[in-house]
Amino acid sequence: MDRSLRRRLDGRFGELTTGPVRQRNDETEIRIGPGDLVQVMRALHDEPDLRFRFLADLAGVDTGIHLQVVYHLWSDTTADWLRVIVDGLPRDDPRVPSVTFLWKGAEWQEREAYDMFGITFEGNRDLRRIYMPPDYTSFPLRKDFYLADDASRSPAGGVRHMEQVHAPRNAPPAVAVRRTTVA
Amino acid sequence: MTATKHPGQHASADDPRIMLDEQIGVFEPIPPYPPRTEREAEFYTLGDGEMFINIGPQHPSTHGVLRIVLKIRGEQVVDLDPVLGYLHRGVEKLCENADYHQAICYTDPLEYVSSLFMEWAPVIAFEKLLDVRVPRRAEYIRVLTGELNRVMSHIMFVGWMALDLGGLTPILWGFIERDEIVEMLAAVTGQRMLFNYFRIGGVNGDLNHDFMSRLGRWMSHATSQLEAELTLLNENEIFVRRMRGLGAVDSQTALRMCLSGPNLRASGLPFDLRRAHPYSVYPELDFDVVTRAEGDCLARYLLRMDEIRQSIRIIDQCLHEMPDGPVMAKLPRLLRPRPGRAYAAIEGPRGQYATYAISDGTDQPFRMRIHDPSFVNLQTVGLVMPGNLVADTVAVMASLDPIMGGVDK
Repeated sequence: MDRSLRRRLDGRFGELTTGPVRQRNDETEIRIGPGDLVQVMRALHDEPDLRFRFLADLAGVDTGIHLQVVYHLWSDTTADWLRVIVDGLPRDDPRVPSVTFLWKGAEWQEREAYDMFGITFEGNRDLRRIYMPPDYTSFPLRKDFYLADDASRSPAGGVRHMEQVHAPRNAPPAVAVRRTTVA
Repeated sequence: MTATKHPGQHASADDPRIMLDEQIGVFEPIPPYPPRTEREAEFYTLGDGEMFINIGPQHPSTHGVLRIVLKIRGEQVVDLDPVLGYLHRGVEKLCENADYHQAICYTDPLEYVSSLFMEWAPVIAFEKLLDVRVPRRAEYIRVLTGELNRVMSHIMFVGWMALDLGGLTPILWGFIERDEIVEMLAAVTGQRMLFNYFRIGGVNGDLNHDFMSRLGRWMSHATSQLEAELTLLNENEIFVRRMRGLGAVDSQTALRMCLSGPNLRASGLPFDLRRAHPYSVYPELDFDVVTRAEGDCLARYLLRMDEIRQSIRIIDQCLHEMPDGPVMAKLPRLLRPRPGRAYAAIEGPRGQYATYAISDGTDQPFRMRIHDPSFVNLQTVGLVMPGNLVADTVAVMASLDPIMGGVDK
């Protein structure tokens, strides 16, 4: 854990982050809102004492409540991975600015997040589905997209969710298969 | 006899002519739906003297099932549009519905040439979630087998690249050496390709006599055999002149394109996660991070050859410094990590393999993001190809070394 990075991030982005800077193992985590993403990313990328030039990963996350976009950045100024979480995207219309103005290579990763979670990256000029066919309409990695065989955890105990449509009248109401959420 | 064009005439499915009634073999590149993005609209609008050709999805030089639509003018590529997803299996979703041990099994068929690296990243991520300490012997075994796998993967890279350029010999020579390593790893892991050897907290089994004797035999001639193999291409004027200057990427572009691994180091940046963000026992081992300044296809090839030499160096050190002890940490069968998030990245033969795992306190990962370097690296082909020849598309793609299993996940 790099304590000095935490101090630097707190000093620089203190008023932009939506929560405290968290650290565990070799990771440092900050959370921001989608409106501040461009400003924060540009600062992280450009400022000489931060120099996060390497975008290691871009991932969409469905917490069960809302959606997130998670960026992992690497810099030679710290021994930690920096995780930037864009938090609190609404399920019905998640919108995030694209980071392709800094990393052109994020384009496909954003397309993947769009394909799997339906997150719209504003500014990505090629935001179409990348894995699923063009006429596909749902977003497979969202938590409300059930696999046919994950019913073993479901409250109906082994009844596939497709079959739950025809459940007996006294069956428990159909709820999300995975009821847990993460922060 | 020629097939007649009367749809519905052949009622019987046994009629051999029934297949001929379908119009086959006509390639219609323009998608039958309106363009979804401005980039798609721009790409599928033909300019003066331009035409589309299609490579793949089942073309031997696409290293799997990749389809590339090329927009060409004469013999020159104007633009290209890779179409992915032919091999998409939804592994991330499957991993969310498997427990922590099962999730590792799903990851190694993704990267069927260097499976151990694909296992390594999730294993480290889960160990971080669980706060497990891996025994030192297990770490050394991981490094040892991992470096063997890297050598094997780079040897395959040479073979495939030469094959894509029309040379058959290097892949045949390469397979001799690769088979030795494959058999060696099979002796210790029990599998030839999809090893499933790394476990959370260690490795599946200790090194055995069969493995050690095979490794000793291979190490005795590895360097000389490698050098002999390299003379096939390094001194081949056709190869060298074709690859030099082709598909050059400078260091700033490489960072902008999120390249990693050998493709990034061939552009002159000494970014190797084994040194840049050390994991396992790499800080204790002595090896060089090789870089090349040119950033072209030849540099990417030569860099991988240098990496094989470094890997052999690491294997040698591992054999000398490997401590005794257990190879597996004591862990319960059913793993329930505390809620939290972990990111682990390792340096594989194609770049940064990473896993971002989120735990919700149950025995299954809540979210498991798999970052594959092939997927990210493949984008660069669209950046460097415009202006080059059609045949060079294949060469540039081969030099970036994508594995479609990882690209499509």
